[in-house]
Amino acid sequence: MPSWQDFQPFIVSGLALGGVYALSGVGMVVLYQATGVVYLAFGAVGAMGALIAWSLIHAGVPGWAGWLVCVAFAGVVTLAYGMVFGPALAKRDPLVKAVATLGLTLVLFGLMDLLWTTSGGQSRGITLPTDNPAFMIGQIQVTWTQVIGLGVGVAITVGTGAFLRYIKLGTAMRAMANDREITATLGVPVRRVEAAAWLGCGVLAGAAGLLLADLVALDATTLTFLVISSLAATLIARLRSITLTFGAALLIGLVHDLLTPIQSLSTYNDMTPFVLAAAALLVISRRRVMTRSREEA
Amino acid sequence: MLDVADLSATVRQRWPPRRPGARTLARAAVVAVLLLFVLLGLPQLLSLYYIDAMTQVAVYSMVALGLGVLVGRVGLVSLGQVAVLAIGAWVAARLLFATSMPYPVVLLVAGLITMVAGMLIGLPALRLRGLYLALITLMLAGAITVVLKNVNFPNGGHGFTGYNGSSVHIPPIRRPSVASGDPAYFRYAVVVAALMFLLAAAHIRTRPGRAWAAIRQSEPAALAAGINTTLYKLWAFALASFITGVAGGVLAGAVHYLYSIGFPPQDSITLLAVVLMGGAYSLWGAIIAALLLQLLPALLNNWGVSADWLTILFGIGVLQVLTTAPAGLADQAPKDLARLGRLLLALARRLAPSGGAAK
Amino acid sequence: MREHAPRARAAVALAAAIGMLAAGCSSSGSSSTSSTPASTQSATSSPSSTTVSTSQCGTKAGVAATGTPIPVGGIVTDQPGTSFTDIAFMAKAYFACVNANGGINGHPINYIIEKEQTNPAQIAAEAKQLVQSDHVVAIVGNTSILECTIDHAYWEKLGFDIVDSGIAPECYSTSNSAAVNMGPRYSSDGAVQYALSQHVSKVVFDQSNVPGTGYIGAGPAALAAAAHVPIVQLTENVPISDANSVAIKEVDDAGPNGAVVLNFTPPEALIILQAAQKLGLEDRVKLWGCSTPCNTDFLAQSLGPKWNSKLFVNAELAPPDSTNSASMSLYRAILHQYGTSVSGGVGSFSQMGFTEAEILVHALESVTGSYTVQSVNAAIKGVSGFNTGMLCQLWSYGSYPMHIPNNEDWTVTPDNGKMTTAQGCTQISSVDPQIAAYRKVAGVAATAP
Repeated sequence: MPSWQDFQPFIVSGLALGGVYALSGVGMVVLYQATGVVYLAFGAVGAMGALIAWSLIHAGVPGWAGWLVCVAFAGVVTLAYGMVFGPALAKRDPLVKAVATLGLTLVLFGLMDLLWTTSGGQSRGITLPTDNPAFMIGQIQVTWTQVIGLGVGVAITVGTGAFLRYIKLGTAMRAMANDREITATLGVPVRRVEAAAWLGCGVLAGAAGLLLADLVALDATTLTFLVISSLAATLIARLRSITLTFGAALLIGLVHDLLTPIQSLSTYNDMTPFVLAAAALLVISRRRVMTRSREEA
Repeated sequence: MLDVADLSATVRQRWPPRRPGARTLARAAVVAVLLLFVLLGLPQLLSLYYIDAMTQVAVYSMVALGLGVLVGRVGLVSLGQVAVLAIGAWVAARLLFATSMPYPVVLLVAGLITMVAGMLIGLPALRLRGLYLALITLMLAGAITVVLKNVNFPNGGHGFTGYNGSSVHIPPIRRPSVASGDPAYFRYAVVVAALMFLLAAAHIRTRPGRAWAAIRQSEPAALAAGINTTLYKLWAFALASFITGVAGGVLAGAVHYLYSIGFPPQDSITLLAVVLMGGAYSLWGAIIAALLLQLLPALLNNWGVSADWLTILFGIGVLQVLTTAPAGLADQAPKDLARLGRLLLALARRLAPSGGAAK
Repeated sequence: MREHAPRARAAVALAAAIGMLAAGCSSSGSSSTSSTPASTQSATSSPSSTTVSTSQCGTKAGVAATGTPIPVGGIVTDQPGTSFTDIAFMAKAYFACVNANGGINGHPINYIIEKEQTNPAQIAAEAKQLVQSDHVVAIVGNTSILECTIDHAYWEKLGFDIVDSGIAPECYSTSNSAAVNMGPRYSSDGAVQYALSQHVSKVVFDQSNVPGTGYIGAGPAALAAAAHVPIVQLTENVPISDANSVAIKEVDDAGPNGAVVLNFTPPEALIILQAAQKLGLEDRVKLWGCSTPCNTDFLAQSLGPKWNSKLFVNAELAPPDSTNSASMSLYRAILHQYGTSVSGGVGSFSQMGFTEAEILVHALESVTGSYTVQSVNAAIKGVSGFNTGMLCQLWSYGSYPMHIPNNEDWTVTPDNGKMTTAQGCTQISSVDPQIAAYRKVAGVAATAP
C-alpha cells in the first residue's frame, strides 16, 4: 500500500482533473435547469471551436482572436440548435430532448474528423499564455491555466446559482424549464429567454472547450466523449444542484487519481466516474422511484 | 381515456390467440419467400466482400432487435447494448476456446449468461425511468468497457480470462463444422437471426407484448390494472440481453478475432441512432437498422466515401426521426411510398390522352 | 406547437441536402483529405537539395505508361485518432511518379487503397474484395493495428508475400509478411536499449493499451533483465484523459536515476510529455525515451527546448534532416510533386510509404513475362540485399518462417524544433529472443551498408 507521500502529488492532479470534469458538468446542469435539455453535445461543440481556433492561430491569426472565434462558434451553433430544435421538441420527454443532442454530437464528431485529419501523425495542441507555472504544492508545479480552470468552475457555480435565483432573466429561465406554456401565458418573452439560455450555454461550452483543449488534449474523440465522465458528476447531483455537481466532479477527479499509485487498481481507475454515478443513483433511488418524464415533471 | 378494466382484460388473454386472418398469412408468406431468397439466392449473387458485410447485418439485426424491444415496445432506452454484445461475444469465445461444445449449445449458453448479466444490470435500474435509466445504462456500459480493456477477449490463452498477451500467433475462434466457409456461415447467421426474430415475435403477440404495450402507454395505469410492471420490465431486459448475447456468439465466429477496441462506447450511441431511424417499433425496423449500420458503410467504403459522412448522416437521421417521423423509416417508408404512388397515379391520369378518360 | 415542426423539418432537410452534395463532390476518396487547408500541416516542406528530378523513379523519363495496369492493393487503418493513410498515399505518389516515367515496362501500377476502422469483419472482407473483385497481384503498404493477425492465413493460402509497415505481432512472426519498419516491440527495444546504454538504474516502460501489450513488453523486459536493471511495465487506456497522473506515476516509479520509455502514438506521447513539463517533472528522471512514432518534427516543435537531449527517440528510418542521400532527395521531390494528399509531409509515415513502394517497383522490374500473383510474389520474395536508402541495412525478403528485416536503428533527439541524430546505426540486441530467432534463420542477412 503506497505511503502518504506517494498519494500527495495525486491529490493535486486529482483536483485538477476534477476541475476539468466540473467545467462541462456544471455547464450541462446549467442548461438543464434553464431549458430542460441535457446538452450532450457540450463537449463536441467546444472541441470543434477549439480546433477552429487552432487552425486560425496556426494560420497566423493572433491568439485572442482565435479564442474569440472559438467561443463565438460554440455560442452560435448552440443557439441555432436551440432555436430550431428546442421548440420542435419542447413538449417531448427530457429523454427525447437528450437523445436529440446526441444527433448533433454525431454530426459534429463526423465533421471534425473530416476536417482535421490525423493521418500524418499530427499532434495538435493549444497553448494558452497562462500555461506558466503559478506555484508549487509539494513537489508538483501548478499552472495558471489549472487555477483558471478551477476558478471558472467555481465562478459558474456561484454565479449561475445566484443568477437563476435572483435575477429576473434567470427565474424566467427556470420557469420555462418547468412549463413553457404557462410561463408564456404569464407574459414572459419565452423565445428571447430561451435564446439567452442557449447562447449562454454555448458560450460556456466554447470557453470550456478552449480550457479543456489546453488541460486535457486537443483531440476530437477525447473532448467529445469527456462529457460521459462529466455526466457522472451531474447524475450524482441528480441534475438538480449546480453546487453538488461541482463537488461531485472534484470527488470523481480525486478518487480517479488517488487510485493511480495502487498497483492492483491502477488500470481500473477510468471506471471511477461510472461506478460512482451508478452507485449514487442506485442508493438515492432506493426509497423512491426516480424519473424525469413529462408525467411527473 | 384509458379503460383500466379493458386494459387488464386484453393482457390476460391466453396463448394461442385467435386463428390468424388472411392478412397475417399473407405477411408470413412474404417473410418466408424473402428468407428463402436470402438463404439461397444472396450467396450466389454477392461477392465475398458483401457476404461478409451481410453476415454482420445478420448479427446486428439481432442487436437492433433487442434494443428495439426495449425502446419501441416498452419505452426503456438503453445506451449500453454494445457492452452487452461484448459480454455475449466474450462468453462465447471463452467457451469455444476452452471446450469443444457444439456451436448451438455455445450460443445458447452465451445467451443465457448474458441474460443473467442483463437482468442483474436491469434489476436495480428498474427504479429509474426515462432519462435517468438511459444515463445509468451509459454509465454501466462505460464501466464494462474499462473492465474489458483490462481483461481483454479470450485468444486461446489459459486461466479464467483465456487471454495470452504475449502471443505471436493468435489462434482464430472456431466456427461450426457445418458452416466454416463464409457463405455457409452467412446462412448459419441468418437462420439464428430468424429464430431470434421468431422468439421476439412470439413474445410480442402474447401476454408480455400486451403488458409492454400497456406499460409504454402509461405505467401508472398499467400498475392500476394489476400488471406486474417490475416483472415485465425485467422480462424485457432478459429477452433483449438473451438475443444480444446470442448475437455476440455469432459475431465471435464471424470475425474469428475479438478485440476490446472493437466495442467502443460511442457505438452504443450509433446503434441507438440507427434503431431510431429504422423504426424501434417494427420488427422490420431492426433489419433496416442493421443494414444502415453494416451494409451502408461497406457500400460507401467501396465507393471511396469516407466513413465520417456516415456518422454525420446518422446524426442528421436522429434529429430527423425525433422531430418529424417518430416511428422511423419502417413506418414512414411505406407511407411515403404510398403517397408517391398516389402522386404518380394522379400524374398519369392527368397526362393520359383525353380520348378515353373523360365522362 | 405544431408550427415549429416544419421549421425543424426544413433545417434537417437542408442539412441533409448539403451533406449529400458534399459527399458527392468528395467521393473521389483520397482527394478529400487534402482539399481542406485547415488540415495540411507542412504538406510541402522546403526541399534541401532538389537537384534530383523525379523522373529518376522510373525507367523512361517523361514517358507515360499506357499498357494494361498492374493492380496492387493495400489496407490501412483510418479512424478518428488513428490514421495511417499518409503511408498509402505516399506509396501511391511514388507509383504515380513511376507511371509518368515509363511505368513497369510500359505498364502503369494501379494502387487500390482500402481503409478500415479496426473492425475485424471489415478487414477480412476488404482482403477478399482486393483479391476477388480487384484481382490484385501484390499487397504492399498495409499499415493496420489488426490486419496481419486477421488476414495472414488468407494471404498464405493464396500465396501473397506482403510488404508492410507492421504493427501486430503476426507482421513479424509469419512467413508471408516482411516489414520495412521495426514495429512497436523492436522499436521499443531500441529506445530501451539506448536508455540502458546511458547507465540508468531503473526503466519504466509505459505503452498504450492496444492489442499485443504483452508481446510488445516482452522485448524490453528481456533487455532489462540481461542488463540487470529493474523494469516496471505500465499500460494506459487511450485516448488519455488525465495525462497529469500518468506523468506523476511514471516519474515516481522511475526515480531520479531512472528512465521513462514511452510507446504511444504521437498525440498521446505529446500530452504525456507536455504534462510532465507543466508539472515541472521533466528533470526528475535521468532521461526520457520513446519508440518511433515520436520521431516527427511536429513533436520536436511542440515540445520546446527543455527537451533537447532529454528525450531520445528511436528512429526506424533515416532522419530526414541529417541525411542527404539520393533516395532522400528523390523522396522529397516525389512528395513535393505528387504527394498532395500526404497531409503530414516529411516524416516517418511518408518515408515508410516511399520505401515500400520502392521495394515493390524494384521487384516488379525483375519480373519477366506476365504479371500474375505467382510471378510478382516470387519476385517480391526474391528481393535480397536491396539498398532502399532509407534504412540502416540492406533489405531482404527471403523464404523464412518469420521476418524482421529492419533491425538496426538510429536514435534521435529534439534540438530546437528539429529531430537530430544522437546515435548512429545500432543493432537491436539479440537478447530479444525474437530478434535472435530471426538472425538465426536469416543467417547473416543483416549487415550495415
